[in-house]
Amino acid sequence: MSTPPAISIKGLTKDFSIGMKGTKLRAVEDLNLEIADNQIYGLLGPNGSGKSTTIKIILGLLAPSVGACEIYGQPSGSVRSRHSVGFLPEAPYFYRYLSGTELVRFYARVCGVPKAEQAERVSEVIELVGMTEAAHRRVGTYSKGMLQRIGLAQALVHDPQLVILDEPTAGVDPLGSAAIADIIRTLKKRGKTVLLSSHLLAQIEGLCDRVAILHRGKLIREGTIAELTSEANAESLVVDALTPAARTAVEAALKTHGVRLRRTETPRLSLDQLFLKEVSSREAEHNPSTKNTASQDPGKESDS
Amino acid sequence: MLNRFQAKHPFIRRIQTIFICLAGLSVTGLVVRPIEAPVWQTVKSGQPELNLGELEGAVGQGVLIGVLGGFRAIFADLLWIQTNHYWQQKDQPKTETMIQLVTQLDPRPDFFWINGARMTAYDIPNWRIRALGGYQTVPKSVQNEIDYEQAMRGIELIQRAREFHPKNPRMVLEIAQIYNNRLKDTENAAKWFGKAAAMEGAPHFAARIHAELLRRLDRTEEAYQYLKAHHADLPDPESIAAQIALERIRDMEDELRVPALRRYLPTRTYRTLEFF
Amino acid sequence: MQTIAANTFLEAVRQRFFNTVLTIAVALVLGAGFFQQFNFGASELKFVTDFGFGAIFFFGAILAITAMTQLFFSEIENRTALTLLAKPVYRLEFLVGKFLGAHCLIGVFCLLISTVLWGVLYWREGALMASFPDSFPDGRTLAYGEVFLFGFVQWLKFGIIAAIALFIASFSNTNLYTVVVSFFVLVICQLQYIARDAYADIANPMLAALVWFLSLLFPNFQIFNLGDRMVVPGSEPALTAATYGGILCFSLIYTVLFLLLALVNFRRKEI
Repeated sequence: MSTPPAISIKGLTKDFSIGMKGTKLRAVEDLNLEIADNQIYGLLGPNGSGKSTTIKIILGLLAPSVGACEIYGQPSGSVRSRHSVGFLPEAPYFYRYLSGTELVRFYARVCGVPKAEQAERVSEVIELVGMTEAAHRRVGTYSKGMLQRIGLAQALVHDPQLVILDEPTAGVDPLGSAAIADIIRTLKKRGKTVLLSSHLLAQIEGLCDRVAILHRGKLIREGTIAELTSEANAESLVVDALTPAARTAVEAALKTHGVRLRRTETPRLSLDQLFLKEVSSREAEHNPSTKNTASQDPGKESDS
Repeated sequence: MLNRFQAKHPFIRRIQTIFICLAGLSVTGLVVRPIEAPVWQTVKSGQPELNLGELEGAVGQGVLIGVLGGFRAIFADLLWIQTNHYWQQKDQPKTETMIQLVTQLDPRPDFFWINGARMTAYDIPNWRIRALGGYQTVPKSVQNEIDYEQAMRGIELIQRAREFHPKNPRMVLEIAQIYNNRLKDTENAAKWFGKAAAMEGAPHFAARIHAELLRRLDRTEEAYQYLKAHHADLPDPESIAAQIALERIRDMEDELRVPALRRYLPTRTYRTLEFF
Repeated sequence: MQTIAANTFLEAVRQRFFNTVLTIAVALVLGAGFFQQFNFGASELKFVTDFGFGAIFFFGAILAITAMTQLFFSEIENRTALTLLAKPVYRLEFLVGKFLGAHCLIGVFCLLISTVLWGVLYWREGALMASFPDSFPDGRTLAYGEVFLFGFVQWLKFGIIAAIALFIASFSNTNLYTVVVSFFVLVICQLQYIARDAYADIANPMLAALVWFLSLLFPNFQIFNLGDRMVVPGSEPALTAATYGGILCFSLIYTVLFLLLALVNFRRKEI
């Protein structure tokens, strides 16, 4: 028997009633999605496109008006389905008076992680998200990036098969974003499925196997990154220092094959990539012992 | 495919929820009544009724709601502290108003009534006389008038207290003492000490003072008979109370010139004689 | 559920509000010990007892409503409920966890105030015994254990009040609305006895039925008004175990009922 899809959404519609008259506001309309196991799946869309509503229905926090949603074959409304789901909400707020370790331990208990395994699981996920050094500090003193990472730790503490991340890098600096992206890749390597909602298209592009684009509650595009972004009938060659003479020669060669050179351009790094490259190299010079600068977050005072 | 989550109109959903809540509450109310009723009867039997109409006039609506909300003990206690503050300042109108308010608010503690009556009958006349110029200036007739007026107010307060504390001898004793100490009305004082002495739990001195006052009214024979009956009723003839009563009986026998053989013999003495 | 309750309790004891209410209540009860300047004599003990019991009820009721409401809405407004309910947690577990945390907090309050009251009474009775030995021929007169028994009975009542606040919070959207409505319901429950005892005397059968029905909807909080019969010996007979047992059953039934009614609303609440 084959593994059921991580998430299966069929004919999902969600209406919100406003006031006693019951005026309806449609947040999601006839959504059909199937997310296979061990994928990084991106959910894209502008504000108000229905991403958060869809995520809440997947998590059982909202009931669909019409349609069905299942997680690994279990109805998403059932508590049982949530044993296999970890969730990091957008701009998470946690109990400020607990330390990072206490917070993650609290969620481990809530998720029913056996007592004997709790300490090990907690330190494992705290290490995974790079928060070991700050784990003893109160959550109230954490920066946004640290909050996101401790949020990731609580989402992972019960070792869920599906991890849902709602804007995991919102308000986080590029170093922190890169660290979170690294963790997401690690999760995929460990066989997990990740559903990611983000505004940062470059990050989605670099991470996701497949993406879905929502607009006004409707699915408008769905597929792999390559399927969605490839230019039809076009190939590019990247060469070192193309001279005008060489370009003329290449054009002539292509002409003999009946192919026209459409344009030439200088390949560029994305700003994200440039920033990371420059900052990471300087960090490495300044502190040679630091292996992964992106996972070290300065201990800022709370901004929450 | 439509599923079970098919949304209902919010109005219908709201009505459904209200119905469930009302049904749950009323069914529970019915189920719980057999448990609640005996407990309520027990609690109710120990509580005086509140005169709501009177209270509403005396205090504001906010306080009334507080009173009915179960805060009357603490409200009354706080107001009693305020009463004592006015008493220390010798402010007659405020002290009397507060005594009325506190006793209406919470008539249960007897000390509100007793202390309030004492302030009214004993302290306030002094303040009023001083306010008029002092004991040297104010004519004796006016002083007596003020004393009488305040004493009657104190008695009136205790009479109201008796509606709430009908079995409490301290209330009756307080009236007796005002008649005796403040008004020097021996006739009435004797009557009220007699009433107090007849009540369960009354102190023994009430009977002795009743007899003494009868004697002062030249009703010594009546006083003598009363005291003999009182002594015979005392549970312990060796007690100090019994010894004092016997002494008073002997005094009266001397006064009435009762022959030796007709003098009162306490029960134990009779038995001793029979033995011989 | 215990994990949520423990965390709620931890959150509650850290709140400044709880510590403020506790401090004021302790100060009031301690202050009652200094009322001897009014020369009450032995009646002073009754006054101090009434005052202490009043403080337990007054501040306990405030605490039960505000703490329960605050602890519930802090989860919703800070969106920690979103994280929590996305875990394998039933909504009933969440509600009961919040309730138990708040009720433990109120329990600590009742225990502390009862202990302070016990101490004040013990001290004052000792002082009065030294001043007026004739009034205490048989030694101490107060039933000290009943101070804690009264605290326990009030704690049961605060459990119902907290459950009512949670029920109202389950369908309300704001903290303030919940607090105000809960206080109204508290007053109605204190007044319920009027309707409860009045319907038999109403001539109009329709009106009598309506009053009877209304009396069924609200629990009668006057049954917790035992202060007059406790601690200070009086003319009324002492309360029996059956009375306390009845109060315990009554409290448990109503607490469970209001928690279930809160679930009826909360299970559909959009977080």
